Amino acid sequence: MSEPKRQHIVAAITQLLQTIRQNWITILVLLFVGSGSDSMFGPLLIIGFAVLGLIGGFVSWWRFTYQVVEGELRINQGIFVRKNLYLSQDRIQVIDISAGIVQRMFGLVSIEVKTAGSTSKEAKIDAISRDEAERLKQSLRSNDSATGEEEVAELTPQKVYHLSYKELLITASTSGNLGIALSIVVGVFSQVDQIIDEERMIAFFESVMPASVGFSLVLSTILFILIISWLLSFFGTLIKYYDFTLTVNDEELHIKRGLFEQKQLTVPFNRIQAIQIKEDLLRQPLGYASVILESAGYGGEQQELNSTTLYPLLKRGEVGNFIQEVVPQYHISVQAKRPPKIAIRRYLLRMVWVSLLIIVPAWLFIPYGIYSLFLIIPALVLGYGQYNDAKIGFSSDDAETLLLQSRLLSRRTAIVKKYRVQSASTQQNPFQRRLNLVTYSLTVTSGSGGQTFTIRELTETMGAQFLEWLSEAGTDNVQSEDIFSLSSDATE
Amino acid sequence: MVPSYLFFLWSYNANVSFWILIAALLGAIFLTILLVIITPQIRWRQWKYKVDEHEIDLHYGIWFSRSTLVPVKRVQHVDTRQGPILRQYKLADVVISTAATTHKIPALTEATADRVRSEISTFARKAKEDV
Repeated sequence: MSEPKRQHIVAAITQLLQTIRQNWITILVLLFVGSGSDSMFGPLLIIGFAVLGLIGGFVSWWRFTYQVVEGELRINQGIFVRKNLYLSQDRIQVIDISAGIVQRMFGLVSIEVKTAGSTSKEAKIDAISRDEAERLKQSLRSNDSATGEEEVAELTPQKVYHLSYKELLITASTSGNLGIALSIVVGVFSQVDQIIDEERMIAFFESVMPASVGFSLVLSTILFILIISWLLSFFGTLIKYYDFTLTVNDEELHIKRGLFEQKQLTVPFNRIQAIQIKEDLLRQPLGYASVILESAGYGGEQQELNSTTLYPLLKRGEVGNFIQEVVPQYHISVQAKRPPKIAIRRYLLRMVWVSLLIIVPAWLFIPYGIYSLFLIIPALVLGYGQYNDAKIGFSSDDAETLLLQSRLLSRRTAIVKKYRVQSASTQQNPFQRRLNLVTYSLTVTSGSGGQTFTIRELTETMGAQFLEWLSEAGTDNVQSEDIFSLSSDATE
Repeated sequence: MVPSYLFFLWSYNANVSFWILIAALLGAIFLTILLVIITPQIRWRQWKYKVDEHEIDLHYGIWFSRSTLVPVKRVQHVDTRQGPILRQYKLADVVISTAATTHKIPALTEATADRVRSEISTFARKAKEDV
C-alpha cells in the first residue's frame, strides 16, 4: 500500500453533489435572479454551473491521492490550495465506513478516519471499493506486532447483536426524536400562513367548518401535528437503525446500520469515554432502554452530535447482561445515593416554572389555551420523577467508577470511569444555599467537545465528597463506608 | 440609558411626571453603583483558586457559586491571555484547557499569571510522567 492511489472516478460525482449541497442557497438565488431577467439566461446558467462543477469534481478527483506509509495515512488533495494530510495511526480514534446512495449505485463505500478533536472532514476518502476500504482499515488499525492475530479476531468476532425487525419497529415507534420532529412540524406550520395568504385560509376554514372555529379544531390541529411528527420520527428512526448490527471482538466494537445510507463505525475499547443508558419517556413504560456510547473523536449526526448509539433497544432487565458482555468494565453494581427529601420541593417548583413558560403564552395567544393549565399536573409528576430518579454512587467493587442517574424527560444513567473525567464542579444558587443543596456536574470528552452529566440538589457534603473523589490526593481517604454513611438523611 | 430615554420623553411630552423621572434617575444611579462598583468587588473577593500537584481548584460566583475541580493530569495546555484593557493594567487571564473543557482564572497580575501557568504545566508534566 505504499503507492499513492486515487479514488474511484465516482468521487468526481460525489464531489459535485457535495458542492451543490453546500451552495444550494447561492444556486437558488442565482436561479431566481437569472430567470427574472431573461428566459434564456436561467437554463444557460444551470448548464454552465453543471459543467464547471463536473470539471471541478474531476480535477479534485485527479488531485486526490492517498497512501499508507509506515503506519501513516497520507492524503494529498486540493485544486488551488494543495493540502497534504499526514495522519499517524496511533492517533486514529475511529474508522468509519459508510455508503451513500451514489456510492451504493456503484457498489462503493466512503471511509472516514477520525482523530480526537477533529472536526473537519479532511480525512475522508469519498469513493473506493469495499475491499479496498477493508484493506485500508486493516493496514491502519493494527500496529506492527499482531497483524495475524488481528485478522483471526476479525474473522471470528466474539459476539454479534442484531436488531430484529420487531425490535426495529418498536424502536421506531417509540423513538425519542418526537420532540425534534415536533419542532420541525411546528416550524413548517408557522411558515404556512406566509405561503397561503390569511384571507384565503380563513375562507377555507369557514367553508370546512361552518359552525365556528371551535375547541375541536384546536384539539384536532394539535392531534394532527402530533401524528405528523410521530410519523416523521418513526420513519427517520426506521431508516437510521435499519439492519443495526453490533459486532464485538477482542479490541473493538463494530456498528453497522442504515437503510439508504449504510454506516459502519468502529470504536476501539480504549477510546470509550463513558456509557449511558437512556430510557425514553415512551420506552420506559414498555420496559425498554437504549445504550449510548461516548467516544472521543466521533461526531455522529446532528441529533446526537457527540455520542453514538451502542444498541438502540434492550429490555430493561437485559441491559446489565448486555453491558457485562459488551463492555464488561462498565458493568457495576452500585449502592446509589439520592438527593435528600428536602430537595423534592426544588424539583417540583422548577417544573412548575417550566410548565408556566408554556402555559402563559398558550393562555394568552391560543384559543382555549387556558386548558393548558392542566399541563401542570404532568409537570409535577415529571418533577417528582426527576427527584426520584436522581441517583449517584460508586461501584461497590472500586471507587474508580461512578454512576450518575438523572432525568430531564428521558432517564439517563451514565457510567463514568474516574480516569476519563476531565473536570467536575458543584454549583449553588441562593435558593439552594438556603437548603444546603448543590448541583453536581462532571464532564468527559465526547466527540470534539465534552459531555456533561449533571445531578441537581445533592447535599453540600455529598457534592464535596464527589468533587473530592476526583482529586488524586483524595483517593486514599475515600472509603466506601465513609461515603455511604455520609448522609443518612439522604437515603430513604 | 433609562434616564436619558425618560428625559427624551419628558422633553417632548409633559405627561410624564417629574417625580417618576427623579425616581427613575435614582434607580439608575443605584443600579450603576451596584453593577459597576459593588458587584465586581464581591465577585473579585469570591474568586479563589488553588493549584497543587494533583488538582486545580476554582471557586467563584456571587449568585451561582461554583466550585470546579480539574485533575492536573487531564490538563492539555495552559495559556495566559491579555487583551488591551488587561495589558493597560498589567494583568492577564490564565486559561486552562482539558480535552473537553476550558477554565479561566481572570485578571491576575502578569507575574502571578506567568507563575501559575508554569506551575500548572510543571505539575501536569510531572503527573503525566507518574502514570
